[in-house]
Amino acid sequence: MANPMIEVRHLKKYFNTPKGTLHAVDDISFKIEKGKTMGVVGESGCGKSTLGRTIIHLLESTDGQIFLDGKDITHVDKHQMHEINERMQIVFQDPYSSLNPRQTVEDVIREPLKLSKRYKTRTEIDQKTDELMKLVGIDERLRHAYPHELDGGRRQRVGIARALSLNPDFIVCDEPVSALDVSIQAQVLNLLQDLQEKQGLTYMFVTHDLSVVRHISDDICVMYLGQLVETSPAKELFIKPLHPYTKALLSAIPSTDIDHPHERIKLQGEITSPVDPKPGCRFAARCPYATEACKQPQQLEEILPNHFISCCRAKELNQDIL
Amino acid sequence: MANKDVLLSVKDLTVEYTSEGEVIHAVNHVSFELEKGKTIGLVGETGAGKTSIARAILRILPEPPARVPGGEIEFEGKDLLKVSEADMQKIRGKEISMIFQDPMTALNPIMRVGEQIAEVVKLHEHCSRQESIEKAKKMLEMVGIPGERFYEYPHQFSGGMKQRVVIAMALACSPTLLLADEPTTALDVTIQAQVLDMINDLKRKLNTSMIMITHDLGIVAEVCDTVAVIYAGEIMEYGTREQIFHDPRYPYTIGLFGSLPDLNSDVERLSPIEGLPPNPADLPRGCAFHPRCPYAGEECRKEHIELKDIGGGHLCRCCRLNEIAAGKAKEV
Amino acid sequence: MSVTAVGKDHVGVRSKRQGQFGQVMHRLRKNKVAMIGLSIMIVLIVIAILSPWITPYNYAKTSKADRYALPSWQHLFGCDGMGRDILSRIMYGARASLFLGLMSTIVATVVGVLLGSLVGYYGGKVDNIVMRILDIIQAIPGMLLSIAISAALGSGIGNTILALSIGGIPMTVRLLRGSILTVRKQEYIEAAEKINCSKWRVITSHILPNSIAPVIVSVTMGIGNTILQAASLSYIGLGVQPPTPEWGAMLSEGKSMITKYPHLCIFPGLAIMLVVLCLNMLGDGLRDAMDPKLKN
Repeated sequence: MANPMIEVRHLKKYFNTPKGTLHAVDDISFKIEKGKTMGVVGESGCGKSTLGRTIIHLLESTDGQIFLDGKDITHVDKHQMHEINERMQIVFQDPYSSLNPRQTVEDVIREPLKLSKRYKTRTEIDQKTDELMKLVGIDERLRHAYPHELDGGRRQRVGIARALSLNPDFIVCDEPVSALDVSIQAQVLNLLQDLQEKQGLTYMFVTHDLSVVRHISDDICVMYLGQLVETSPAKELFIKPLHPYTKALLSAIPSTDIDHPHERIKLQGEITSPVDPKPGCRFAARCPYATEACKQPQQLEEILPNHFISCCRAKELNQDIL
Repeated sequence: MANKDVLLSVKDLTVEYTSEGEVIHAVNHVSFELEKGKTIGLVGETGAGKTSIARAILRILPEPPARVPGGEIEFEGKDLLKVSEADMQKIRGKEISMIFQDPMTALNPIMRVGEQIAEVVKLHEHCSRQESIEKAKKMLEMVGIPGERFYEYPHQFSGGMKQRVVIAMALACSPTLLLADEPTTALDVTIQAQVLDMINDLKRKLNTSMIMITHDLGIVAEVCDTVAVIYAGEIMEYGTREQIFHDPRYPYTIGLFGSLPDLNSDVERLSPIEGLPPNPADLPRGCAFHPRCPYAGEECRKEHIELKDIGGGHLCRCCRLNEIAAGKAKEV
Repeated sequence: MSVTAVGKDHVGVRSKRQGQFGQVMHRLRKNKVAMIGLSIMIVLIVIAILSPWITPYNYAKTSKADRYALPSWQHLFGCDGMGRDILSRIMYGARASLFLGLMSTIVATVVGVLLGSLVGYYGGKVDNIVMRILDIIQAIPGMLLSIAISAALGSGIGNTILALSIGGIPMTVRLLRGSILTVRKQEYIEAAEKINCSKWRVITSHILPNSIAPVIVSVTMGIGNTILQAASLSYIGLGVQPPTPEWGAMLSEGKSMITKYPHLCIFPGLAIMLVVLCLNMLGDGLRDAMDPKLKN
């Protein structure tokens, strides 16, 4: 069996803050198979962006292991780092701050090509630049345009071209469409899907938008305050959500289906931040089903094939669907 | 018409901005009516002119560069564009109030949240300080914030709670009309759900009418009675919620639904609207949507197209409805 | 305003490929005000260089008859208390003043930018140590610091430059550090690290161009100040030694007679003002030229 593209085991990322230790990513394990898309959903502050950034080494992990194509890349030196960077890239959320305002479209795309030393002559670099621009659908006439002269969708395309320039295998997409208008959002999602098909890319797609994540992902991880609460094949998650948080999250999405208004699970309270958290389920404070047992540390358990959840009451609460 | 209880009637509203010698046509001849206790949704993308409409109603457009060269905004028998600034100040916050998109910037960071609500109450209801504080506490509780948090500062509140404070402030004087400009865009889904539920409850309780400005069709489905789809500063399609969601006719509206990943059904690829919204300083001739429209024909490029009633008050600004219907039938 | 976000479909077609430097120069050349500033500066520098050959009189030649002479056709700017021609002294004095002013500012800026990038980029301990040292320097009044350093090192021109520039370093570092801290958090910096930019490249081509603007403005404003400081140094016998003329020194010499013979102060004052004005014009132009968001 082939190695998964990305595997993380017990990954942790803590930050020291004046208030205490922030457990942004706390003991997370999962695999992403080659050519697949893993969607990571959760609300702001749940650590989903930190998870993505830790995997591609924009942040140093606190503990745990990261494997790229079977190779342990948790600790790397400068030279290996360059190699990893050529295989793992990131597309950012904010199309306004992800491009250097003083670089033209061409500068942005050429820079990684020039630095990679894969291309010997200027003509080769030019050819590759043209190719990339065509690939992501940026007109030739915009070659010398500055980011502020482009709309959000086009800026995002430039960011995608930059990420693709080194022919990576794995791309972390950190909320790549949440700053875009609906019609533009659909264009960019289609582009990402086409690229995956053409180049066999593996994505980790971080977003708070559940309908987007359902559309684009093969598997989904749901995070809450730094912990993985549920992971399952994408479609199953929407039909058979098992964790109370996932259920609440799904019921909170405003639906465009006006004939079948769904019953909403009302959550009390607000999302806090995981600073020096107590052991046990972090959702318990807002969970309508919380009991004493929820104060114990929870284990990720495979309840249905490939469907893991970390909730000690999962079986009794889901008797009707299991 | 006469039997309807119309609260607000906007006729032919036009808003222009002047920037570097160019005239930007932000809102073009927009007309709609809003009944008491009902909610109208203004849907459209960034820059479609939704916010300009709301700001024109409240008369808080920055003038210059903005200008309202024409139109009428009739609110309870008065034309808001003609009343004096002093009268307008009495209307703002008292009869019409607005919830802004960003709760982070809508509150004064160095003033206690309760005081900010009390100030609005005191200004409009001419009551004593003590009464206004009582009222403010009651408002806080109504939006689900314990009254003892009256004395806290905005930075001690989370984003969702700040937005509730903003809503409490907007509703403090029981306005008859509430303008909500993307009130939940900055919030997380579970918090958004709480806030939307709360707005719906309060609206019912106080019988407030609302203009909901949003780009999210899901929100429209949840809170609006009628919907106006705005594109390039014009109403392109207008109808009841059912008319728009069951039977969208205008190609842009159809495109919006096609761009939306659906939670309940599987599509391999989305069908986005190609191209970009037009430059409002240089709108295309004819139908503003024709450069992006898959159904566009010769007549769409020639002259401006009027809104037509296509049955039951469902208005649509399109001259190729028959062709579109035929095309759809073929697909099926 | 939401209106501005759309309709960007009319991006002007730029066909020429230019480096970043080329683009900046291209935009600077279009800025009339900046070009006027630059031209006057060039004229002043040429005058300074050629002054030994082109001054109407010898700058050190005294003449009892001409003491405090008012401006006339013989002496366009008049004469000072020792009967020396003020025009000649200003022309010759441009050498010392411009050299001191420009050189100490350049030294302060180069060191300040290096340190500022270092502390802004690395932060943490480096930041703490460097900033505390700078705090100490800033706690000493600038004048006192220059006097102390010149006194310790002696009065050569190199030492004077050193004495004047050290006081200017903390300001530059602080300004740059502040703006680097905001730029550092931008996602394009993370992106640059991920495409294997070296640290040097990240700093020089992504961070600095986006954070240098406030430094440029403050530097061009600072030159005038430095010229005056240099004057104070020569006033107390450090810095440039008489009879070599220098604008600041001329100004302070004339100060005591300002009510009776204002021309002693007016002309050197005007000279300093002209330099500061030109450099400000140039500095503003440069800042704008480096910002692609501003249309020409």
